[in-house]
Amino acid sequence: MIKHISSLLGAGALALGASLGSARAADTVKVGVLHSLSGTMAISETSLRDILLFTFDEINAKGGVLGKKIEPVVVDGASNWPLFAEKAKQLLEQDKVAVTFGCWTSVSRKSVLPVYEKNNGLLFYPVQYEGEEESQNVAYTAEAVNQQATPAVDYYLAEGKKKFYLLGSDYVYPQTTNLVLLEYLLSKGVKLENIGGGFRRDGAGKIISAGKYTPFGHTDYQQIVAEIKQFAASGDACVISTLNGDTNVPFFKEYAASGLTAETCPVVSFSISEDEFRGLPAKQLVGQLGCWTYFQSIDTPANKKFVADFQAWLKKTTVPGIVKEGRVTCSPMVLSYVGVYLWKAAVEKAGSFDVDKVRAAWKSGLSFNGPGGKVTTQPNMHLTKNVFIGETKADGQFKIVKTFNNVYGEPWLKGKFK
Amino acid sequence: MPPDPMMNFLARCLRPLACLAVIAGALAAPAEPARQILVRAALSDDAAQQRELITSLTGRADAALVALLEAWRTDALFRYAPAEGTALVVQLTGPKDDEGRQAAVRIDTGAALVDAAGQPLKLAAGDLKAVEHTTSLRRAMKAVADLADLADPDPARRFKAVQTIGQAQDAAKLAPLQARLEVETDAGVRRVLREAIALVQLKDPQDATRIAALGTLKELHTLASTDFIKRALKEAEEARNQPVLTAAREALRAVENHRSFVDFFGTLFRGVSLGSILLVAALGLAITFGLMRVINMAHGEMIAVGAYTTYLVQNVFGTGITLPFFGLSLGLPGLDLTGGAYQTYFLFALPCSFLAAALVGIGLERSVIRFLYRRPLESLLATWGVSLVLQQAFRLMFGANNVQVSSPVYLSGNWTVNDIIFGWNRVFVVGFAILIVFGMWLVLTKTPLGLLIRASMQNRTMASCMGVRTERVNMLTFGLGSGLAGLAGAFLSQIGNVGPSLGQGYIIDSFMVVVVGGVGSIGGTILSAFGIGGIDQVLQQYLPVVAPGLGWVPGIGGFLQNLAQDAAVFGKILVLAGIILFLQWRPAGLFVTRSRSLED
Repeated sequence: MIKHISSLLGAGALALGASLGSARAADTVKVGVLHSLSGTMAISETSLRDILLFTFDEINAKGGVLGKKIEPVVVDGASNWPLFAEKAKQLLEQDKVAVTFGCWTSVSRKSVLPVYEKNNGLLFYPVQYEGEEESQNVAYTAEAVNQQATPAVDYYLAEGKKKFYLLGSDYVYPQTTNLVLLEYLLSKGVKLENIGGGFRRDGAGKIISAGKYTPFGHTDYQQIVAEIKQFAASGDACVISTLNGDTNVPFFKEYAASGLTAETCPVVSFSISEDEFRGLPAKQLVGQLGCWTYFQSIDTPANKKFVADFQAWLKKTTVPGIVKEGRVTCSPMVLSYVGVYLWKAAVEKAGSFDVDKVRAAWKSGLSFNGPGGKVTTQPNMHLTKNVFIGETKADGQFKIVKTFNNVYGEPWLKGKFK
Repeated sequence: MPPDPMMNFLARCLRPLACLAVIAGALAAPAEPARQILVRAALSDDAAQQRELITSLTGRADAALVALLEAWRTDALFRYAPAEGTALVVQLTGPKDDEGRQAAVRIDTGAALVDAAGQPLKLAAGDLKAVEHTTSLRRAMKAVADLADLADPDPARRFKAVQTIGQAQDAAKLAPLQARLEVETDAGVRRVLREAIALVQLKDPQDATRIAALGTLKELHTLASTDFIKRALKEAEEARNQPVLTAAREALRAVENHRSFVDFFGTLFRGVSLGSILLVAALGLAITFGLMRVINMAHGEMIAVGAYTTYLVQNVFGTGITLPFFGLSLGLPGLDLTGGAYQTYFLFALPCSFLAAALVGIGLERSVIRFLYRRPLESLLATWGVSLVLQQAFRLMFGANNVQVSSPVYLSGNWTVNDIIFGWNRVFVVGFAILIVFGMWLVLTKTPLGLLIRASMQNRTMASCMGVRTERVNMLTFGLGSGLAGLAGAFLSQIGNVGPSLGQGYIIDSFMVVVVGGVGSIGGTILSAFGIGGIDQVLQQYLPVVAPGLGWVPGIGGFLQNLAQDAAVFGKILVLAGIILFLQWRPAGLFVTRSRSLED
């Protein structure tokens, strides 16, 4: 791996970089990796860097893409959204990468989007997001709302749940997801008074926000849990949580202490995967639900091989800064992994690294059998994939209780359910 | 399109047929023992069929079967595949032998499992796969068990069973409920039985029955009945049924009155509990900053030291832990305790947290702070630097991720008195806050050390002239303050995250509490902690009640109405704004300490 130092040097360095690039161009292809390796998001995003490096090694060992070895250019977005845009610019204009795999938060994606559109670059985005976006320069391997949130609601409805409490962290993904969920619940005949968390209305009385929101780092969930307890007193209630990061710890501790359990009032969390579990109190979460397009516990030979290969790679890798113990695989990691293979398939179908040709190949519908089952690319830049609902076990893994096969990724959901 | 969706479709069409066949089979041969149905369900791979089979056990369950269902739900039923023949479901009983094997009982016959030669077969739980279960299956099992549980000797189980049956509003269950009420002696269960019967009767076609049921619900005014009364009210409204409507309105009013009572006292308790947390977190700072006037930005990290110490003690009581320690690997052996002995780890963690943080504090005082006593601004910068160093040290030793601190059993339940929830962890924090305040008062006013501390803090030079070794007193005082912060860390580990940046979340709150209370006044710190905690909770609770009525305010009415949604955030903003105004009015805080010292 070539270590890149972010450069603010000037035109001379730029020219040098370009000439170095062309010297290598014959046998390698440059691929950007744009994740936060420092700052608050580093805990989640470094796992994606690791899995990407693993995937590149795996592909290179089998001969690379179109006969060229992948040469990763890893840059650090440092959990700083404007910096993401700068780094993206550097990747596209200076390093001339053929494709970038990166971003976790929606705000980082929104920040780099104009850069990719201006330079006609291609970004693979692997983390569950709120939809309402369809850029020609982004391949969304991520879960769209209808590949995570609405299947979870379907599952709850099938379980006989009648009351839904919406709770989330205060930023764009939970806010948008809950608005879509509100429409979806109403379309399924759930009454407005049976949707908890409250509503915010504009001057005309139209609902512009649904659910209860807490800021990042919030620790006092007493009042909210007391409210949920009253909400659930009459039975058949459940919670849909888009709480992010470590606010889940005080929430679930309070939840368990108040006597609410997965049997009386289950919680489905869209932001807790196997990887997040490493810092959560497992005992308090047992029986609560998760919904993703991949779980490490999927019992297929393909997944077992993938998990074993990744662990073996972790043991022998020499890249500095990679944690080797207690590693797990989770949905954003697998979506990064299948993203690389889909890009490879698209490049090979197009016979070129040219972004326009690769995009056309993507839109023609490519399939790849990944660890989570078959995924297929769609004309709207999203992916068709399987959706799983799992119950949390004490060891931080999920027991799959329901599978939805081949769910078509649909980004535009607002106003769709009437 | 690939062929698998087609297959899926076919399978989905056939599944109900298969279930029908199962049910028909069950009807045609009612003699099939309940245990065998259970075994068939356990061996089935089809979730829908499993559910049907379990539900078919309704009314046939005896105590033995309920115990089996319970065993299934707690992963104590195992699937055993003998070398030849079909798979069996077994339960392990009796003492374990040296290799961890136990005698096995076949569930279908209830007899001991034997091998081909007729000898009893012993199996180890680790070699077997527990029979799996999902939420919906557990619910089905629960429904079956609930009806059987009506006669359970444990009142808590009866209570839960009655509640679930009542909320299902199934008229067929009315008779067993009424039969149980005849013989029930436990007051709590009698109450919930009456509620359940009334809930089922709400579905009765007779007006008189429904009105009587609503009368019962009015008398009981339980929160659980709210939704059902509302539904009855709506139905009566649509049917223009005046007598039922009146009864429903009265019942609803009684429940709402009860709810405001619960909310009021619940808020009060939550305010006290939040106040206690603020107090526990700020008390150490009240000493290091309040009494010693060191602007101690590393206070938060002292809290984190306490929290990490709790984590270490927990691991030592468990399986041990290995930490990277500046290039070395530091292994702490585990005591491998389980059960009750393991649960006591928290009691040992308390003194350890105090000592660890006190030692770090004394080290900090000796190495940095003692040179800066008369230079508050430099002490601010120096302690801030120390806080960054400590945070990085946590990251190096424990990793950037949060670590798991599990709550001991005696801190993870709750008492529910009249629908008001008292979480044990919260009650413990309140009790503990009272204890350490009392302890501190004793130390400061009744011991020679306290006398020396007060003397040195009031007038360092004079105390020194009188022969007090102020250097040593300073060191001990700083150690005491840091130790209290460590204790706070042990508690906060039961409520929130334990991570390298744990302290950052509490440092602002701590300074706020001490400044509002009046720097140097312990009493002021106590009052301001409870004041801030209480106001915060009251705003969180009652903003959503008040805000919707503020639409009339010109210009910002809409904005105010929507505040209800942000109660958690806006409550905090209002508290901060209130504090700013308060400090404009009383810059020295609630209690001003006057000193004759020439230093001030």
